[in-house]
This record gives sequence, C-alpha cells and structure tokens, in this order.
Amino acid sequence: MRDARDAEDERLLAEGETDRLLAGWVETIQDICVAKMRGPVGEDVAQAVCERLWRELKAGRHRDGRYPFRVIVHSVTRWVCRGWYEPGWQESELFDLDGAAPDESEAVVVEVTLEQFVATLPPGDGEVAALTFLDGLEPGEIATRLDKKPNAVYQAIHRNAKKLREWLEE
Amino acid sequence: MSPELETLLDELVRRHARGEPLDVEGTLRRAGDDADELAPLIEAFLARAPRRGPTPASLRFVQSLDDPPMLRARVAKALKVDDVVDAIVAECELAPDARPRVRRYYQQLEGGILDPTRVAASVWDVITGLLGRSRALLSAPAGPAPASAPMYRADASFHLQERLVVLSAAEPPSPLDEVDALFLGEPEG
Repeated sequence: MRDARDAEDERLLAEGETDRLLAGWVETIQDICVAKMRGPVGEDVAQAVCERLWRELKAGRHRDGRYPFRVIVHSVTRWVCRGWYEPGWQESELFDLDGAAPDESEAVVVEVTLEQFVATLPPGDGEVAALTFLDGLEPGEIATRLDKKPNAVYQAIHRNAKKLREWLEE
Repeated sequence: MSPELETLLDELVRRHARGEPLDVEGTLRRAGDDADELAPLIEAFLARAPRRGPTPASLRFVQSLDDPPMLRARVAKALKVDDVVDAIVAECELAPDARPRVRRYYQQLEGGILDPTRVAASVWDVITGLLGRSRALLSAPAGPAPASAPMYRADASFHLQERLVVLSAAEPPSPLDEVDALFLGEPEG
C-alpha cells in the first residue's frame, strides 16, 4: 500500500533526482539511528545507511518502484542497525528487496501514517491534533485559531498525547 | 508511561511539525533511565511521520557521499590536512623532519590510494580520535568511479628515441624506516 508521502519520492526517482530524494531522508535516518543505537554511535550508523542507499541509487536499484522508497529506507536502516556490531557486515552484498516480501513490520510502516492517526480522533481533539502534530502550532496559537479557551486546548493536547503514545506502542 | 515521557514525546512531535531539529540524543538524555521506553516510540513516530523536504545541508551531505569518507569526515570537522598530520607526528612521537612524508602518506590514505589495512593501529587511533569516526567507516570505499574512460591526446610527432629502462633492474628497495612502517606495514587479516 502506498500513501501520499510516496508520490514525491516516486517523482524524484523517476526524474533521476536521486540526490534530492536521499537528502529528504537524511535527517529521518539520522534521528532513527540515534534512537535505535541510543547515542552518538547512531551518527556513524546513519552515515553507513546513507552511503549504502546512495550506492544502491547510483547503481540503479529501486527504480522499478516495486516498493516505496520509504520502505527501502526503513528496511536498510533496520538492517544496518541490527548488524552494526557484527563483524564483516560491511562486506555483504548491496541490500536487495527484489524477490523477497517485506516483513510484517514493513507492512505496518506502509499502512499507517500520522495523518491517519489524526483522522481517527474525535472531531474536536482531531482539530487540535492536526494543528499540534502536523502544523506544529503552540497551544496559544491553536486556541486563537480555533477560537477556544486555552484550558480546553491544553486538555485536548493532553488527551491527544496519551492517544499518540498508545498508537505508537501498538 | 510517565507524564514526563509523554511530554518529551509531545515536544519532539511538535519540533518535527515545525521543521526544527529533533535533537533525539538530547531527548533520550533527558529521559534518563526511561530512555529505553521512549526510544522505540520515537522510532515508531519517525516511521509514520511525513518525511521532511531536503535542506541545503542535507543535499550537500548527499552530494559529498562520492568523496572519500576520510576526506568527508575531515571537512565535516573543519580540520586541515596539516592538523591531522601534526597530530600523527606528535602522537606517534616522530621527528619533525618526518612531517612531509607523513603528510604525503596521509593524503594517499585519505584519497583512497593507500591500502588502509597496512596502516598501523597507532596512526588509526590518532585519525579516528580526531575525526570522530570509526575506522570501518573511514576506510569504507567511496562511491563508484566515474564511468567515462580517460582521454589522451595523440602526438603525431612523438618518436621513442631512448631505450626503455627496466624498472625491476633498479636498486633493491631499501628497508622500511619508522614512517614507512607506520603506513606500509603488513596488511591485516
């Protein structure tokens, strides 16, 4: 399953703008690696992930669009993080999703998005969640935008934070 | 999950929405002993959140991925070749007159010309300490070489008038000195 996030990646891949494609993922890769590796070694791991993805893109891999580039990014990131301390992993073949189905966790990655989570919330809380999680507004700005009392916005933010955590734990 | 962790996660999500740096490392540090509980949630969030657009810095980073990794790491640290050379000379306790040769060897290593497995561990310790990257990353091969073949200009007036000298008949190689031994030692493994 594909979502709105994949359309721009597919366009960049089709037009050969592989540097812009990977550049859009660099920060996410770095943040995930730091979270997975629990510290600055994540920066090293992220560099290895980016180097591997770059080599694959330059070698023409993934152009067939069989899997969204997002799935490939997360798969390679997981694979490099998992093997980081195993001797010899850097000498292994280029990562290749062709011929192998993504694992179940990848299917989860493909199917759920932050926008979809926001859409599951009750209308009032959903409005606040969209402005908080998607637009990054502060509570005061949200209160003004929605013409609500600040206290009501704070309560909605509190409820949404709890639901977000539960959703991420699923 | 404690309210503090929920707050940290909420702050991170908002920073993401505002397009600010997430500072995952700082966030996990603030979580203290609960970092192991928070980290998977951050991972799950990043897997589901919209990706950000490319920044000039991330674009420069990707375009630099074709450079040799050691050069890239040195530039990222805003260090000059001489800074690294000075550190190697000092840490390996070499004489000052060895510096030009150390510089030559280092540049060959950085450019991917010198076999990294022949470089002594003491030199690698200096380099990895200074550049803040592991040896495996610094000595990883750079991207593929350009596809175009080299071009030569043909000189129609060229005539070979001297006899070729067989290089192997030259003087036997001199034994390795201290500097050579640091950069041209026995390959590992």
